[in-house]
Amino acid sequence: MPDAHVLLQDEPGKRLLLLGNEAIVRGILEAGISVVTTYPGTPASEIGDTTSELAKEAGLYMEYSTNEIVAVEVAAGAANCGVRALTAMKHVGLNVAADAVMTLAYVGVKAGHVIVTADDPECYSSQNEQDNRFYALLSNLPCLEPSDPQEAKEMVVAAVELSERLGLPVLLRTTTRVNHTRGPVSYGQIVKPNLKGEFVRDMKRMVMVPAFARPQHASLLEKMKEAAQISEKSPYNKITRRGKSGIGIISSSSAYNYAAEAVDTLKLDASVLKLGVTHPLPEKKIAEYLKSHRRIVVVEELEPYLEMQVKGIAKDYAPNLEIYGKMRKPYFARKGELSTQAVLAGLAEILNEKVPTNTKEIAEKLSMISKDLPSRPPMLCAGCPHRASFYITRKVGGEETIYPTDIGCYALGAAAPLSVGDILVCMGSSISTAQGISKVTGRNTIAIVGDSTFFHATLSGLVNAVYNNSKVVLVVLDNQTTAMTGNQPHPGTGVTGMHSPSEKVLIEDVARGIGVKYVRVVNPFETREAESVLKEALKQSGPAVVVFRAPCALMAAREKRSKGIAVSACRISDKCSNCMVCVKLLGCPALTVEEGQVRIISDLCSACGLCAYVCPYKAIEGARP
Amino acid sequence: MKEFNIVLAGVGGQGTLLAAEILGTAAVMEGLNVRVSEIHGMAQRGGAVTSDVRIGDNVLASTVAERRADVLLGFEPLETLRNLKYASDKTLVIMSNEKIPPPELAVKKQAYPSMDDVVEKIRLFTKKLIVVEAAKLAKQAGNSLTQNVVLIGALAATKTLRIKDETLIKALRELVPAKHSDVNTKAFKLGYEYVKQQGSKAL
Repeated sequence: MPDAHVLLQDEPGKRLLLLGNEAIVRGILEAGISVVTTYPGTPASEIGDTTSELAKEAGLYMEYSTNEIVAVEVAAGAANCGVRALTAMKHVGLNVAADAVMTLAYVGVKAGHVIVTADDPECYSSQNEQDNRFYALLSNLPCLEPSDPQEAKEMVVAAVELSERLGLPVLLRTTTRVNHTRGPVSYGQIVKPNLKGEFVRDMKRMVMVPAFARPQHASLLEKMKEAAQISEKSPYNKITRRGKSGIGIISSSSAYNYAAEAVDTLKLDASVLKLGVTHPLPEKKIAEYLKSHRRIVVVEELEPYLEMQVKGIAKDYAPNLEIYGKMRKPYFARKGELSTQAVLAGLAEILNEKVPTNTKEIAEKLSMISKDLPSRPPMLCAGCPHRASFYITRKVGGEETIYPTDIGCYALGAAAPLSVGDILVCMGSSISTAQGISKVTGRNTIAIVGDSTFFHATLSGLVNAVYNNSKVVLVVLDNQTTAMTGNQPHPGTGVTGMHSPSEKVLIEDVARGIGVKYVRVVNPFETREAESVLKEALKQSGPAVVVFRAPCALMAAREKRSKGIAVSACRISDKCSNCMVCVKLLGCPALTVEEGQVRIISDLCSACGLCAYVCPYKAIEGARP
Repeated sequence: MKEFNIVLAGVGGQGTLLAAEILGTAAVMEGLNVRVSEIHGMAQRGGAVTSDVRIGDNVLASTVAERRADVLLGFEPLETLRNLKYASDKTLVIMSNEKIPPPELAVKKQAYPSMDDVVEKIRLFTKKLIVVEAAKLAKQAGNSLTQNVVLIGALAATKTLRIKDETLIKALRELVPAKHSDVNTKAFKLGYEYVKQQGSKAL
């Protein structure tokens, strides 16, 4: 997509290549959604970012909320005033939002509210690979699952219709391979947004005290009955291949793509039932499908969500049917993402088919190549201020200190040689796990958190530290952006998702306001000062907050480029003795060794000067002041 | 149209994603069905990056199955080796010879394998290999960041991809910022000419 604004073209029938997330944004425009809220998270981020780029022109309201529960609540507020809304988040974001979502199912909505949950099988950029279809079962909310960008766009529109028909929020569950696949998408008609809402009091529906919650639960269950009827007739639950062999495959989402291609590759005469509405399932349709086949294979990623329910349906309608998947005997893995070859292998095993597998000879060749192939794991960028912060933190804290860390680019600091990161659970966990560790070990504990994560989920943990007088240091790595997910703004940046200026919420003010007595802000590239500040922080008897503030290197370089300012690089002088201290201590991608000689890759270097600081021979020149 | 699979392998920051998007956009411009896979976020930070482009009427999945690549477009020698599982003896490998040593090598004081060694390993899988001096050509075009487009030009010159050269150039001019449009078009042409002159020998 050349520019986000092509999504605004009202040219039905136009066909172009879109990323799944861009297609969802086109869906937002075609569904007349007027309020979009999000907290950025891979693989959902571009939904918010693309909306942010065109929100003003499109006439809709978009915000980066401080976290996912706030995002859901803001959108639910609007949807209950009759304004269509969408909230986008990554899968673990739905854990944060779950408290609202569970009861919002009782409250319902007046206008459509779509909640996009982007799952990440294989943990490409996540701390876990939970299967969020279970949230649909848990909350009794309908769930739609697209398998490609075109369907992702259509399902936003379908989800809004379903949401309004039932008066319930609807989950749109995607996976990385839907969000981050580009495919051809055909435009439909744009529906003009309407931001003008009206609040009508309706206490019995919207004030969930016990007396009103009980009948609303009953009403939710009634709505699910209607949803089940809709699911039976939904065009998204369809047989896409009809075979005569009696073999039937049931699949959904990205797994469907692998299943269909595996059937083609094996030239199987099998039927395929593709499920697009995966909660509630079309029980009768599935029962008919089961009755008309001899063997059923359920192909799905992560948990046996469909398989469990299909087996439940089979118990009543086709109790002797053979159903294969991942329960009892696992033909497909319950972890990681699937692939065409994984589905091929599973299908071939079930059906006793020959599969074009790797011969022993090929496997040997591959193992020979991979044996001595150096790895290339992701790492902090050259010039990243986190590298300086970690170097200082480890130098001051040493081996004895424990370093709980958090979610963001800075999770990469756990790797050698920086080695700062001892426990990482979820957004905001660093400050709180630190307190438990500190209480029971008595060891110095330095919790690491980024600026955006500070606002997202660290505040209550920090209040807890003050309240319970925990001896912990919170180091906030403030690079003034949400870097990991693509440099989105946050409450500390003074800019909103609508590109409007706003009051900067300063981390140091928040910390002082909460009651932290020792709060300091320092630039981590001012290495000596930063070291002494952190040493002082460790001497405090209660909680201390040190904000290491320096802009994200990628963001700074981009700003310089747009202003036409050249990015300078450091140089190595003839004083270099090749002692390798810089290489070994910092793990900077701009430092390399060629024929035994340390070299700086000037295309990558941004002259941050951290290597000049650690060099014992003062052999690195050209650091920016 | 029968499926045509391209695996692009490189290092975060080399423009593999943009190259894949250019190929995918060109395919859509020609009315073809296509899927492009990408990986964003954590995995992008200077790490190994792959992107797949799959063209064909029946293509649904965005990722290429093992040994099913028609073309392996290697942006970096080690990353080319890392993705040989997608290659068979029918696969055409087009590889940049510009090395980006992983930091691990420096710390372990290991040497980057020689180009002869890399080529020998690729030949275990396929004899169809074209090595492109992408960095040199990109500099010649006026910007070292255009190596990705040099490689697209090289791929176009092999005529394995059933997309017209003009369509590829149109897609690339649509996707790169206007001020870099001419430099990129030049990079495409340099990659194209390079393969026409040198690469045909390798085939």
